[in-house]
Amino acid sequence: MLGKFRTSWPIVTFFVVVIAVVFQQILTSFVEQGIASGGPYDNAASYPRTVAIFMAVCLVAQLLMPGASNAPSDLPKDADKGDFIRAGTLLAIFLIYLICLKVLGYHISTPVMIISVMVLCGERHRFFMFAVSVCSSLVVSFVFEKLLNVVLPGGIFSIHIPW
Amino acid sequence: MLGEPFLLGFEQFMTPLGLGLTFAGILFGLIIGVLPGLGPLMGIILLLPVATSFPPVPALGLLIAVFVGGSCGGSISAILLRIPGTPLAAATLLDGYPMAQKGRAGDAIGLAIAASSVGGLLGGVVLVILSPILAEFAANFAPPEFTALAVTGLLAIALVSEGSLLKGLISGSFGLLLATIGTDGFSTGYRFTFGSANMLDGFHIVAIVVGLFAVSEMAFQIMGKNLLKSPHVEVVLPGFGSILKLLRHWKNLISSSAIGAFFGALPGAGGVISSFAAYATARSFSFDRDEFGKGAEGGVVAPESANNATVGGTLIPTLALGIPGDAASAMLLGAILILGYIPGPILFEQQPEIVGGIFSVYLASNIFLLVIGIVATPLFVYVLRTPKSALIPIVLILCCLGTYSAQASVFDLFAMFGFGLIGILFRVFRYPLSPIVIGVILGPLLENNLRRSLLISQDGYWIFLERPVSAILIIANVLIVAAYVWSNYRKTSHCWIEEVDSD
Repeated sequence: MLGKFRTSWPIVTFFVVVIAVVFQQILTSFVEQGIASGGPYDNAASYPRTVAIFMAVCLVAQLLMPGASNAPSDLPKDADKGDFIRAGTLLAIFLIYLICLKVLGYHISTPVMIISVMVLCGERHRFFMFAVSVCSSLVVSFVFEKLLNVVLPGGIFSIHIPW
Repeated sequence: MLGEPFLLGFEQFMTPLGLGLTFAGILFGLIIGVLPGLGPLMGIILLLPVATSFPPVPALGLLIAVFVGGSCGGSISAILLRIPGTPLAAATLLDGYPMAQKGRAGDAIGLAIAASSVGGLLGGVVLVILSPILAEFAANFAPPEFTALAVTGLLAIALVSEGSLLKGLISGSFGLLLATIGTDGFSTGYRFTFGSANMLDGFHIVAIVVGLFAVSEMAFQIMGKNLLKSPHVEVVLPGFGSILKLLRHWKNLISSSAIGAFFGALPGAGGVISSFAAYATARSFSFDRDEFGKGAEGGVVAPESANNATVGGTLIPTLALGIPGDAASAMLLGAILILGYIPGPILFEQQPEIVGGIFSVYLASNIFLLVIGIVATPLFVYVLRTPKSALIPIVLILCCLGTYSAQASVFDLFAMFGFGLIGILFRVFRYPLSPIVIGVILGPLLENNLRRSLLISQDGYWIFLERPVSAILIIANVLIVAAYVWSNYRKTSHCWIEEVDSD
């Protein structure tokens, strides 16, 4: 069990936190609201508590079972440190993009994000990067704003294309 | 019985919007299917927030067409590059790629598209005939039966998911817990909202699935090599003569479609199992058995007709019972719920025109697939040449805008990102993602019917064993789990004995 925990502690910790949060909320927020006990109508805690206990039992059983899972990992077999850094950087770029979307708006943030990701992938042809970033952000904008009537974030500069 | 709803639904489909969205869905589905790593589920996820802004039948036409197109599109890259665009096409490459190597790529793609189209139509016939029968049977179901059905659906998905049953159950439980976030419908209390107004309705299903599947997939894609490389693919032109070639394999076509529809109707089975089962069956009964694996036409017809017939089969329990058979049909079910309809017997009774509309869009999708698939093959070849360095940021933008368009909420964007991180964590440690989606979709059905059952019961939980259908389902679930545990115990003991002997 300890061996399995050592190799999978991040996700085991995640599940333990989820289960702990369920019980913590039941003992605090649910009790305050008066929905932690009673019959099926009033007791909103019974079902999530049961599911959390079931999850905990399965988790312990999973750790106790001998052998590793037979599912293939999604990580590329020849992944090296650079690949992990690239994935982490992509997530960071995406997070920054989400933050900037509301502040700077779609039409400024999106081409910058596309170019950043392409540079991250190793692209160096400037014209190609510029063409892809501008064309794809305009096409997507046209589809969403003109065809689907979705108002995209304009940001502090309120940039909107009058299609 | 079926005629009037079908006609009403057909009227709702035969509008410029309905036809246009179905056409667009097939085209988008084929493109998504062609690109390795994406697939019909991703296509449905990306278009779900967009689709739900349209009227119901055209909206479902778009999504079902993506499902149909995506189930076929993977065969094109399987035949040309030996890389299946989706796992559904893994069996197709066994004979499709050798055919291409012999200079018959056009024939192979034409056969694949024609077989998918006809197989899908045959699956549609099964759908149209069986789903009303099943819905009528389920009309007598009460809360205990729906509770037992929801448990069966979750268990089935957990059983066939990658990894162990326990991991599937843990993932499914996580999905069930996610579904409890928000305002409780019975007590009107707030559960796991942490005082946030954004959490009063829980996390939006679109943010959950886009994050779990699409964002995590892009993180894994960027870890691959050859991000700048455009695969060298020659343009091929299949012709409509493929239909005539297909008719030579009519027995294979019918049997494979039947296998596909059967496996599709079983929760958790899906297109991959049906395509390999159909391939194995076709090979066993073929006079040219030795040709299979070397470019036999039957080796392309069997898996492609099966995996598209599976779509029709999958829609049977989804529409008639409200129990999705896989993650893609769970998303379709989610779309129906977002549009304000409740799948199951109620839908057949109270909104038969919606059911008729779904039948119409499904059948029409397969007809469009034949025409668009053959005519637009050169387009898909060009799409295959798109380097990942361009594809990854475009998919991320679609994820972002698709999620944003659901509720125009920035909170949803950050929720999507958070679920992206969770999706990566699950995939690194080999926990399946599909049970999470099934748990989120079935969670409200399970909890609401469980609590209703206990409210009406005078014997507490014994009500589930007092009613015959729910008792049968529960006993079947227990037996399935017991058989799985016993089988694993024997396997583990066998390995242990071998180790001891070798020592």
